[in-house]
Amino acid sequence: MKWKKTLDWLGAHLALLIVCFLFFFPVLWLVLASFSATGSIYDLKGFFPGSFSLSGYKTLFGDTTMYDYPNWLKNTLFVAVGSSILGTVLVILTAYTISRFQFKARRTLMKSTLVLSMFPSFMGMTAVYLLMVNFGLINRLWALVLIYASGAPMGYLVQKGYFDSISASVFEAARLDGASSFRVFRSIAMPLSKPIIVYTALTQFAWPWSDFILPNLLLKNKDKWTVAVGLMHLDETQFTRFAAGSIFIAVPIVILYFCLSGFLVTGVTAGAAKE
Amino acid sequence: MEHSLLFLTAVKSPSKRVRASAALMGLGQLMARQWVKGLAYLGALAAFIAYMAATGVRDIAGFFTLGTVEADPWLGTAGDDSIIMLLRGLLTFVLILGLVLLYRSNLRDILETERTGAYGERAPGFVLSMRSFLNNKFYVVALAIPVAGVLVFNVIPIVFMILISFTNYGGDIVPPKLVDWTGFESFRRVLSLSGIKETFFRILGWNLIWAVLSTAVNYFGGLALALLLNKKCVKFKRFWRMFPILAYAVPGFITLLAFKFLFSYGGPINHYITAAGHSAVGFLDIDAGMKARIIGIFVNAWISIPTSMLLATGILSNLNPNLYEAASIDGAGPWQQFRQITLPFVVFSTTPVLITNFIGNFNNFGIFYFLRGGLYMDGYFLASDTDLLINWLYNLSIDNNYYSIGAAVSLIIFLITSAVSLSVYVRSNAYRREDSFR
Repeated sequence: MKWKKTLDWLGAHLALLIVCFLFFFPVLWLVLASFSATGSIYDLKGFFPGSFSLSGYKTLFGDTTMYDYPNWLKNTLFVAVGSSILGTVLVILTAYTISRFQFKARRTLMKSTLVLSMFPSFMGMTAVYLLMVNFGLINRLWALVLIYASGAPMGYLVQKGYFDSISASVFEAARLDGASSFRVFRSIAMPLSKPIIVYTALTQFAWPWSDFILPNLLLKNKDKWTVAVGLMHLDETQFTRFAAGSIFIAVPIVILYFCLSGFLVTGVTAGAAKE
Repeated sequence: MEHSLLFLTAVKSPSKRVRASAALMGLGQLMARQWVKGLAYLGALAAFIAYMAATGVRDIAGFFTLGTVEADPWLGTAGDDSIIMLLRGLLTFVLILGLVLLYRSNLRDILETERTGAYGERAPGFVLSMRSFLNNKFYVVALAIPVAGVLVFNVIPIVFMILISFTNYGGDIVPPKLVDWTGFESFRRVLSLSGIKETFFRILGWNLIWAVLSTAVNYFGGLALALLLNKKCVKFKRFWRMFPILAYAVPGFITLLAFKFLFSYGGPINHYITAAGHSAVGFLDIDAGMKARIIGIFVNAWISIPTSMLLATGILSNLNPNLYEAASIDGAGPWQQFRQITLPFVVFSTTPVLITNFIGNFNNFGIFYFLRGGLYMDGYFLASDTDLLINWLYNLSIDNNYYSIGAAVSLIIFLITSAVSLSVYVRSNAYRREDSFR
């Protein structure tokens, strides 16, 4: 039996090595390319650059006449932080209310969000685009914030799952002590839901941070571009700039994910894994 | 209380004040000396009537005609803008609906005042009734802003697009030309006009294959990875798990653009192919055929497997390990254990997620938009052989202004996805548990 175990161990680790290589290699390629001394992908001659330098990052932040990366970054931050704050408030309120309260419109609301989510996202977006064009609201960053934040409550189910799992007796006790609904929400529900608030804020931040469809539709002026739109406009000759720009915005979000990976598992499984 | 029932109760009420509020919203509240509330209701009604008189009636008429005067630059006549008229009409309908809801709340309010008043109490003042409202109807206050936001940025746009699909808006017919209601003409064109019809069915076929295949690959890939990481003999689990989580954390559009570069002519793969003396391969070219489709499935798996791995890990940790012990005592091999214990358990608890993933993949815009984007092929109307319906929708409505046809395609996508999910929901166990549909 011993050789069978060894074989099992060997097979498992071989498979792991292959999988991890597949996941890691493209990332490694991009990281190394961002430190390439030359700009075009044709100069790389294979997977890895021949010589390394920081010039990719220097041009990224220094040479801004054609591609104004610092400005894209500023726009992206504005949109992402704005939508994250506003969106988190709206999602948490929605999820808490639907989880805690029984009222007549509750089932109707839940069913309507379900039906709404079946429409292809583009359908609404085309309309939003047409409306924004008709009202001259193209090229406004705050319009993006409003659209992201207002769409956020549609994805309330994960958060609702979390609130469902908090024992109702905690709330009952507070109500019996005479706390008002608002007080219960603020002083009891909120402190108990830190993990889910962090998860929500992170996802509400990451979505605008990496979305390209909406900004690509609504931001036509170069000085309003977000990073995603800007990077889309870089071709093969600007490969090092692309790699550097990508790494620069991916690193913060990767670090965030790793620091908060505990919250992530809570979030991903909160709504889904119910027994 | 039903609509009509509430109204009938109010009209037949013995109380003068209730009947007054039924006739003129807010009047009964004024008679009960609830000044702020009564004036607020009356004011809302006055504002509504003023709006209807000023533009509302005209807007509703415009909604049905969609404009009668076409702009003429020679004579200098400013024509009607059909789309603005459609939109204004829609907003007026929303306002009317709002007034009806307000009227009902007025009836309910005065009935409530009468009920408590019957016990000889003084009608509560404005501040007091607001405070009790916040406490007893917290959900109304809490949901008001989210619901309003969803209404403005999701519901109205969707209704607007549904309306558009019944017009001939798009192509040559954009303002200043007049748009008309054409009934089911756009749907008829998608399903029967030669050129468009073939494109639609070709794309639909590939779209279905894509959705099934990529959902299966991502789901089982994630499950397999989770099982692999769960094996007892694997040490340093946290280390191994880091790699898929890294892939998960990199923003999707960066991954997609990076893969496009990877498979491009200047990319490293082609570099080695040419270095070995072969000619470069256009992996994502217009004539790439199956190559591009397979690359799409692979790239999508790269992006999605980490998420389904995290999910499967969470679910596997809920699985009772004693089951396996019992099974191995009964002589079940690893494959049998997987078939009889792991798979049913995981599938059972993830059916809702599976549907969400299926729909997400069915409408997966990013993959082929980034990998190929904007290619138009022979035999397709403004699309290529890797495009999904959602990509075609984008080409039609955003790039080429075929709005009404695009809207019709959207509605068809909606019908397909909702039919698929409904049929799975009804069969799944999750459906029978009251609250957990997802």
